[in-house]
Amino acid sequence: MTNTPPAFDPEEAARTFQEALKEASRNMRGAQVVAKSYDIAVGLTPKDLIWSLNKARLYRYRPTADHLHRATLLLIYALINKPYIFDLRPGRSFVEYLLSRGFDVYLLDWGAPGPEDRRLSFDDYAAEYVPRAVRKMLRVSGATEFNLLGYCIGSAIASVYAALHPEAPLRNLVLLTSPLDFSKPEDSLFSKWFDHRYFDVDKIVDTLGLIPVEFIETWSKMLKPIENYVGTYTGLWGKLDDDVAVEGWQAMHRWIHDGVPMAGEAFRHLTVAILFSIVCPSLPTE
Amino acid sequence: MSEPKSIFDPFATWRPFQETWAKTMGETVASEEFAKAMGQYIDNYMETAGPMRQQMEKAVERYFQQINLPTRSEVTGLAERLTNIEMRVDDLDSKLDEALDHLKAIREALAGLSPARKKRSTSKPAE
Repeated sequence: MTNTPPAFDPEEAARTFQEALKEASRNMRGAQVVAKSYDIAVGLTPKDLIWSLNKARLYRYRPTADHLHRATLLLIYALINKPYIFDLRPGRSFVEYLLSRGFDVYLLDWGAPGPEDRRLSFDDYAAEYVPRAVRKMLRVSGATEFNLLGYCIGSAIASVYAALHPEAPLRNLVLLTSPLDFSKPEDSLFSKWFDHRYFDVDKIVDTLGLIPVEFIETWSKMLKPIENYVGTYTGLWGKLDDDVAVEGWQAMHRWIHDGVPMAGEAFRHLTVAILFSIVCPSLPTE
Repeated sequence: MSEPKSIFDPFATWRPFQETWAKTMGETVASEEFAKAMGQYIDNYMETAGPMRQQMEKAVERYFQQINLPTRSEVTGLAERLTNIEMRVDDLDSKLDEALDHLKAIREALAGLSPARKKRSTSKPAE
């Protein structure tokens, strides 16, 4: 039996070569999009620093509406990421939207803790920092009421603040993605992973002081490992020709990889006091 | 959104399996065994890293003391003190605001008094 090689088709070869070149340039663009995502400008809405304490900063976004609501709005973000997720890119900004709707928006940015902050606890954030920021916000704005919006761990902090300060002129408490109710451990991977039978939080906190960004990022990504480690890139490759989608992807990618370490004591509080005692801070009913 | 179908697409072979893998990995990370293994891994890491880190920090501290440079623990201590001072300054700021509010209230009350009463209230009491 003799094997005859397929006849060489120069037109087919040229087409394959062209396709390879096209795809190579597309792959190159994909790699560039990923690499440049770390430098994409984020958090561009103009704001002014009005108060600071240690690494925490309180900003006031410059109002854009002609008429402002009487009650100010304070945004409190999590301890493990940067708060520019509220103000990702022009046209994709929650802050921009709030300003356009007449809110006087303030943001409490926790900053990145250093080794000297390893003993900062949940109590410090909720009972020391937030009340001081609220006081300053009310002073600067002249408002007599305010709304509080907590996001992620920020919503746990906001809840504790609200529970501890029933006298505060708090009009609305808004909680987004709140890590408050762990009464069904089977619904929460963190409850499983941080189970005290396997996870020695004291050893980690006492050894490291600060919980490194890499730990937090890995835990977050492992919630959905394939989606986060691979799916995000397959998704990007599918929309490389859409500049608007690419820009949004880059901003999100930067934010996901731009975390901050967490003060060890606060982490101990979060895992022990909140995750396992299943404590939902009782909120004021009115 | 157009999915590239080219044979040169680096994710082409992966894409059909992604959903299955996501499901399998999702079940894996949600298992008791995974939690146990992760806890064990972190525990081992801490058992190794902890003492090494401690020894390294002690050696570096000693070295810095010998060459007359501030050590990390000294700088950290200073930073903690600075934060305490910032808190005290913030407390003073708050008290100053309160004092200014009181002063403003007194001024407004005085402005509301009749000229004769104002004169009486601002004149020195007879000794």
